[in-house]
Amino acid sequence: MKRTLTVAVLIAISVGAPRAHSQDSSESAQIKALIQEVNDLKARIAVLEAKQAGTQSSVVSAQASVKTNDDPPAPPQTASGTETTSFGFLRGIKLQGFGSLGYKASDIKVPENSFFGFRPGSMGNFAIGDVDLFVTSALTSKATVLSEIVFTETDSQKFETDIERLLVKYDFNDYFKTSFGRFHTATSYYNSVFHHGRWLQTAVDRPLVVEFADDGGLLPTQEIGVSVTGRIPSGKLGLNYVAQYGSADTIRPQINRPGAIEIDENNGNGVTVGLFAKPDWLPGLDIGGSFYHDRLSPDNQPIHIDQSIGSTHVVYTTPRFEFLNEAFIIQHRVEGGGQTFNTPAFYSLISQKFGRKWRPYVRYQYANASTQSPLFGDVGLRHGPSAGVRFDYNDYLALKIQYNRTLRRQLATINDLALQLAFRF
Amino acid sequence: MRKYRKHLVCYGVALLLAACYAFATQVKEKPKDEDVEVAVIVNPTNPVEALSLADLRKIFAGEKQSWGAPGPIALFVRGPGAREREVLLNRILKMNESEYQQHWVRKIYSGEASRQPLALLSNGMQLEAIRAEKGAIALISVQDIHQGVKVVKIEGRVPGMSGYPLK
Repeated sequence: MKRTLTVAVLIAISVGAPRAHSQDSSESAQIKALIQEVNDLKARIAVLEAKQAGTQSSVVSAQASVKTNDDPPAPPQTASGTETTSFGFLRGIKLQGFGSLGYKASDIKVPENSFFGFRPGSMGNFAIGDVDLFVTSALTSKATVLSEIVFTETDSQKFETDIERLLVKYDFNDYFKTSFGRFHTATSYYNSVFHHGRWLQTAVDRPLVVEFADDGGLLPTQEIGVSVTGRIPSGKLGLNYVAQYGSADTIRPQINRPGAIEIDENNGNGVTVGLFAKPDWLPGLDIGGSFYHDRLSPDNQPIHIDQSIGSTHVVYTTPRFEFLNEAFIIQHRVEGGGQTFNTPAFYSLISQKFGRKWRPYVRYQYANASTQSPLFGDVGLRHGPSAGVRFDYNDYLALKIQYNRTLRRQLATINDLALQLAFRF
Repeated sequence: MRKYRKHLVCYGVALLLAACYAFATQVKEKPKDEDVEVAVIVNPTNPVEALSLADLRKIFAGEKQSWGAPGPIALFVRGPGAREREVLLNRILKMNESEYQQHWVRKIYSGEASRQPLALLSNGMQLEAIRAEKGAIALISVQDIHQGVKVVKIEGRVPGMSGYPLK
């Protein structure tokens, strides 16, 4: 009996000893388990509260709970309809800058007009290009001001200042957003999405057809007026609309005649309407088109011209992949039984990011204007490929190198090489 | 020695049981950070009860900017390195940090959005923001949820249910 007791004590000691060693760890494990349990309970309480709130506001939630997405907005719940959000977190001015430094070399024999600080006839020179100051500020939770002030280098290293965009925006909801002021027209996808900051676009330059009008582009890229946009209740199709009415004043330099008088189109008020889809089933896909119409009274020409521009785009972009395709038909109909000139144009750009920094790209562009056109006689037929690589040093600095080959009707082909250091700050 | 054989066996069995117990308690370790579920919270006055992952992507990508009745959506996110930020980037937006930054620069510059989501340093600040802003929405680890906010169902599930997508 004594022996048995001794053995029992020994067993108890033996078992107790490791337990004493593991007591701390088991206690801490228990504490952790209890903390976890408390956290789980907290989550459960929050969920129950959510459910309770749901039942209390059953009328509201029945209308708005599961829908939330593509149905038209419900009327405001507040009696006065005024904004009741405290919004204290969101006030303030935000300033962002974009800039670029460039070098361009070309084998062109007969000089063409050059822009962004590049000199006509130069075989190669450096230029600053655009310096872009972009300012946004919230006025209320629904109203914001946006302005884009650009300093552009001329070919004599002087700088011109332009207010490229100045908008007061008021977003009623996702279905009705308004803007008043100077904006980039919705005549093309590129013009709506990419603005003056070169850092934002993959390529060194914009395709000719969507280049800004004061740099030789073919579209009325800017207007002062009103713009309305928003979603259309369309389920997973993700339809959106845009409508703009405003005054453009397009002044185009003649791209193949350096020093020649610029063509002031003296636009009447223009109307743009557009429709595009961003389907839910493929985020990044954007398909749509727009139509623009205005009446031109070009300087030094005793004619009036009806200008109509139709455009369509198919775009697929993800953070790593970009496929832009856009086609245009620009029609100029001389009033009083005059001729009609149709200028077709398109561009296509594809790029893929490899790793974290490298993004090679290829672009092809085409524009074909009649040499008899009262407005685009300087353009003629121009088409050709561009190929380049963009290297993102970090989130603020990108180096691009691009080769362009431009074939022209009855004129020598141009080969040029462009380097660009684009940055934001 | 033979006399003690029985006791030695008992002692051995007891040791084995003790070892098993100790092992069992050790195995029940605290949940890994990757297993912590992340809830979607809004202001309690917001009538929204449920969202799909596609809705969340649209909201946090700035494509959907208004709730309708409660007004504009105010986005709050955690700063880089937080668990909620990882879930936002990996599960919802499928972007890395750099792509997220670029996405918002483009969005604001094109005029499609007026401001980037406000990045907050702690979940406590997120809770305060959600309570203060009627249209606010944020992601928060479930253990940090407190009263005064509403948890929204994602794909019909609340945190804790099997198949909940944000973890």
